[in-house]
Amino acid sequence: MTRAFVGLPLAAAAACVPACLGTLIVAAFSVLDLSGHTPFSGGPLQNIAEAAAAGNAAEVLRRMAAGDNLGRLWPVRPEIISSSVPLATGLEAAVWSREGALVRLLDLRRAIGEGEIRHHLVCLALDIEAEDVADVLAGDRELSCEPGEALRAVLKRAPAS
Amino acid sequence: MLLATAYAAVVVFALGYALLGLPVQLSDSLGNMAKAQDLSLGDLVYGEFFQASFLRPFLWAHLKVLLILSGGDYFTWFRGWHVLQVALLIWLYLCVVRPVTPAGAAAVPLGLAALVGGHTFVGTVYEAFPINTFMTILLCVYAGAALALGPPGRWRDVAAAALLVFAALTVETGLLVGVVVIAARMAGATGVSRAGTWVQVALIGGYFALRFLVLDVGAPGLTERSSGFGFSVLDPDELLARFGGNPVLFYAYNVLSGLSSIFFAEPRGGVWALTGAVRAGEVRLADLVGVLASAGGTSLIAGYVWARRAAWRAWSLDADDRIVAVFLAVAAANAAIGFAYSKDVILSPAGAFFALALTVAVRRLSQQTHAARLRSAAVGILLLALSSAWAVRGLHLHAVLRAEAETARNDWAYADQWIEEQRMTFSPAGAELKRRLEADAVMRLPARDPVSSDLMEVLGID
Repeated sequence: MTRAFVGLPLAAAAACVPACLGTLIVAAFSVLDLSGHTPFSGGPLQNIAEAAAAGNAAEVLRRMAAGDNLGRLWPVRPEIISSSVPLATGLEAAVWSREGALVRLLDLRRAIGEGEIRHHLVCLALDIEAEDVADVLAGDRELSCEPGEALRAVLKRAPAS
Repeated sequence: MLLATAYAAVVVFALGYALLGLPVQLSDSLGNMAKAQDLSLGDLVYGEFFQASFLRPFLWAHLKVLLILSGGDYFTWFRGWHVLQVALLIWLYLCVVRPVTPAGAAAVPLGLAALVGGHTFVGTVYEAFPINTFMTILLCVYAGAALALGPPGRWRDVAAAALLVFAALTVETGLLVGVVVIAARMAGATGVSRAGTWVQVALIGGYFALRFLVLDVGAPGLTERSSGFGFSVLDPDELLARFGGNPVLFYAYNVLSGLSSIFFAEPRGGVWALTGAVRAGEVRLADLVGVLASAGGTSLIAGYVWARRAAWRAWSLDADDRIVAVFLAVAAANAAIGFAYSKDVILSPAGAFFALALTVAVRRLSQQTHAARLRSAAVGILLLALSSAWAVRGLHLHAVLRAEAETARNDWAYADQWIEEQRMTFSPAGAELKRRLEADAVMRLPARDPVSSDLMEVLGID
């Protein structure tokens, strides 16, 4: 059998090799992915804040159900939001996703609450020019913001140790 | 054959793994499953004989049977069945092309890349309702080809008749089973006897009589769906405004653009997207590769027919010729059946036979020895380029599935809002079904790691 293949014209090899390579690449990718070493990937989202910043609503819900707290500070890798935002709460990260639908979902699930936190998130949304998100958060409330203050509060946090 | 089978197993593994990352989709599946849940099998099937525009009782029977078998473990059963269907399809592909020689085996990777990388195939795997009806039809038409192109046998007549009844009452493109059997017989195949072929003709006639005279189901009108036309998609109101008085022009457009899509992967869903992108100077490499792959494959098949023109003129066709002849018949009939609106996946049977015809053409070309060294090199370069283009198309499919897995999972996160927007209501059993599907998607299937967006963009995913 092998001998017969060796004797094949060049044309047969030309037809066969690139398509085989494509399949082998996908198969190798699948095996590596299955073993937890996904190629061409920065790795899994590390926590609920990263999931929220990536706009991955399903992952946010899964982590909420597992007990992760949206309101606490989480380390966020530089490529997820920005190198100047090493720490963010899950809610701040959700604002950074600029996904109004995600923020509305969290609001419907009563994850945001009223008072200072909502006010901070509205101002943060305005500071990063995510007006849609600010509208979702503010609703018909009248909230005033000092431009740039909420963003500065986030940026001045020390990097995660 | 052993090597080709082993290779096919690798293709199935990779596709199966990608499919198992996809939750049962919300918008495509929940309503259908809830409907099937609330009715008995008999009531469900009986009711489907009296719908307007569509006659698809076995589509619902298929769904209901799997729903019963699943016992509530929906993801395992529905997605598992989808993977099994892919495996069956690839096995049937091997049954039809029968790669028993080294040259035949060498043509299989390119043929399979054309099967799963084709633009018409994508819709058979990235969506499901929750059974992908179009995948079911691919299995039926390939099974029809395996029956008709194989050795004679009375049981094949019976199996082909049963297959046609099942496929035609699953979705309209199922009628192509009859086209496959009849075309194969006309091309000289003897797997299904002359009498069995006449039964196919009678069943097709019976289908039309049942649909239009007995049940008065009719055909889909302009108001059923949005459809591509020219460089954009027109919604039903726009279609009605533009073609309401004379839809024949629109139907002719759909048939002709369907044919062009089968052979050249352009237009897509009736929209001349690549042509528009060229005009706007915004061509994406992945789209261009898709068109080049299809056009190259079409050229090769045309070259095959040209090389065999003496046999075709004398209508003295061999086994390979018959496969190509059946492809041409299926392409014409598939484009005609899709007259009502343009959708890539409707053309998937023709796309699947394109892969068979391409395998045959590549096999024949690579078996030939060319006296002139220059010509031999040119053939090698052509096949190398074509195989590379189809390999890229295969990678594109996996990128689509990866992206869709994340989208489908996220859709479930917003399920309650979507259900409210759709004004859907559920029985207690339907509500439990929704809860389980949601839990499957969000809790049971953790997201796979995100892949570099740069890589996804190269593969044609925005």
